[in-house]
Amino acid sequence: MEFKLEAHRIVSISLGKIYNSRVQRGGIKLHKNLLVSLVLRSARQVYLSDPCLGGPGVGGPPQPPPAQEQLPGEPAPGWGEPHARDSSMEQDPEPAGAAPEPPALPLALGKRSLEGSPLLRAEAVPEAPRRRVEAAERGGGGGEGALEGPPRARQCCCRRLCCSPHGAPRADCGCRPRPDDGAPPPPVCPRKRSASGAGGGPAGCLASGGSPVKKPRRDSEEQPGDEEEMETGNVANLITIFGSSFSGLLRKSPGGGREDEDGEEEEEEPQRGPEAAEPGPMYCDKPVLRNLNPWSTAIVAF
Amino acid sequence: MFLKLSLRAVFLGAGGGNDIQWCFSQVKGAVDDDVAEADIISTVEFNHSGELLATGDKGGRVVIFQQEQENKTQTHSRGEYNVYSTFQSHEPEFDYLKSLEIEEKINKIRWLPQKNAAQFLLSTNDKTIKLWKISERDKRPEGYNLKEEDGRYRDPTTVTTLRVPVFRPMDLMVEASPRRIFANAHTYHINSISINSDYETYLSADDLRINLWHLEITDRSFNIVDIKPANMEELTEVITAAEFHPNSCNTFVYSSSKGTIRLCDMRASALCDRHSKLFEEPEDPSNRSFFSEIISSISDVKFSHSGRYMMTRDYLSVKIWDLNMENRPVETYQVHEYLRSKLCSLYENDCIFDKFECCWNGSDSVVMTGSYNNFFRMFDRNTKRDITLEASRENNKPRTVLKPRKVCASGKRKKDEISVDSLDFNKKILHTAWHPKENIIAVATTNNLYIFQDKVN
Repeated sequence: MEFKLEAHRIVSISLGKIYNSRVQRGGIKLHKNLLVSLVLRSARQVYLSDPCLGGPGVGGPPQPPPAQEQLPGEPAPGWGEPHARDSSMEQDPEPAGAAPEPPALPLALGKRSLEGSPLLRAEAVPEAPRRRVEAAERGGGGGEGALEGPPRARQCCCRRLCCSPHGAPRADCGCRPRPDDGAPPPPVCPRKRSASGAGGGPAGCLASGGSPVKKPRRDSEEQPGDEEEMETGNVANLITIFGSSFSGLLRKSPGGGREDEDGEEEEEEPQRGPEAAEPGPMYCDKPVLRNLNPWSTAIVAF
Repeated sequence: MFLKLSLRAVFLGAGGGNDIQWCFSQVKGAVDDDVAEADIISTVEFNHSGELLATGDKGGRVVIFQQEQENKTQTHSRGEYNVYSTFQSHEPEFDYLKSLEIEEKINKIRWLPQKNAAQFLLSTNDKTIKLWKISERDKRPEGYNLKEEDGRYRDPTTVTTLRVPVFRPMDLMVEASPRRIFANAHTYHINSISINSDYETYLSADDLRINLWHLEITDRSFNIVDIKPANMEELTEVITAAEFHPNSCNTFVYSSSKGTIRLCDMRASALCDRHSKLFEEPEDPSNRSFFSEIISSISDVKFSHSGRYMMTRDYLSVKIWDLNMENRPVETYQVHEYLRSKLCSLYENDCIFDKFECCWNGSDSVVMTGSYNNFFRMFDRNTKRDITLEASRENNKPRTVLKPRKVCASGKRKKDEISVDSLDFNKKILHTAWHPKENIIAVATTNNLYIFQDKVN
């Protein structure tokens, strides 16, 4: 549980850094943002694979995902919708292939998430090829947390107040203590999306919503001149995505001083309009997060 | 008596970090505690003879110090360094196309070996490299026929006699002029420049690419390394530093954010994407944490003067590699291992991203690097002893011997030790330089430059 809390905190710190890097003088620093996104990924994986939060399938050693499910994408289903509004988002021709949907769809997907994979699949798509490569490299994904378990489903044990805030799971929890392979798995590449051709900047992130089925590999469609832009616009997109997710998170969970500030900051931005309009995405996670947040501020850091 | 003299000779000649007694010599920069951002020192470099010491700062300025000629009567210390030239190397720019401001901060300075009376150096910011000529003027022509001394033109009709202008001595003036500007070759931020041993070419490295330039040609450069993936989403590592081999003009190395170093041979192919050697140490699984990737990122790589070894600096350690052995370093020195348990805080306050540099002494027997609380560390490769010293104005009497410092990691703190929690993480020493021939070191704190010498007595 403590790992989860620390992971949660690290995720929020990382998002704050990525967000702040947008306004830094000299432009987005690729190296630092790469490192931050690696940490973000590690922390997120720990967060997601912690049995206290996960569904029935998540306890114990990480399991290979269902065949059709691509790898997990954004932090958690509850952390916000797939970035449907970002039409510049890279998509891969996966069977999961849920392209950026118009805002209405995420809600539907959100509902479906209760049954399991589809939401995660949608979120996961942009990362799918990388993760698959990673999995292949590690000989099929049984490896350390490369693959997170099935998405957290509605049967969240924490809903039953299984994991008390004090950190010790109750005996009747059903969550198996996860062997602490504690070490987050080697990171995969950061989640980066190519900017919509025009380079970075918030404006670029929110090109008007594209058609539901997006062509893959937008990169190849770009003009040669575009390639030479410093491709950190995708990092800016990342921020938008996380930012919107986070503000959604925070709207539901008013704990956590630091996170509040970030959330408010982000909500004020005009670009956040579409995200702000999105319906609350969280189902099973609300109670989880409500339980979590007061404690996230009480974390002992080390 | 003879024995005593010979012992002293041993001490002075050993070059050992501990055998030497380091003394304060000078400090340059404002005394003010309130540091102006433009004054933050961003690079320090001695020239090949050690007579000149250049610093670059965040405001885009270069300040060059020159060592006084040794005074025969002053046997106690070597010459002092005084300001020789100051000039604005880079200005802030704005890239309108991408809506990006380009910082004027000087990332690196590298000196060219001296070929004539003038001195040349390369200075770079994030995007543009400039070749500067620093020359002295100590005489000027006087006695023009058509110009008055103050520059006004004379009416030609008033000229009745002609004279030949002659050179007369004047106060020394040091002029810096940009001779070449190497621009528009880097999409990402330049982190390194390195002059080849052929003294005709040099490389510049950014996060994803390395370019080869000829010093005379500014409108063209050759790309020799490109690690940009076709799909940026697949990016896993960036280039963090690069350097040419000191003797082999076909060899260079570059380090990555994953903790690897690649040695490349330019004779092998035009594009050196395939390394000749890959230096990597397997990670210790017991040290795994959320921040393992960050702390393994290499912040600096430097060849030894001999060319046989190279040194890398990552967040917690300095490693010496033998170019003939790729699978692990031959020596590893812990700089501030007590920080390993504090990585989360250091991540929060961004200190974990600090890029420390490292340097060799002239004989390659001692290496030096910086730390926090204005501490810097030296490791003697022969005696395996190390020392921690502090750059502080409190010890600023000339020839005051610096007292070794110690950080107490945990447990009972002894007298004179400093506990980890009382370290000031805003006072960091990122840039240090060692005179190529003497035991003189330049250590940059945030906005001050300290010069220390060994005790000559």
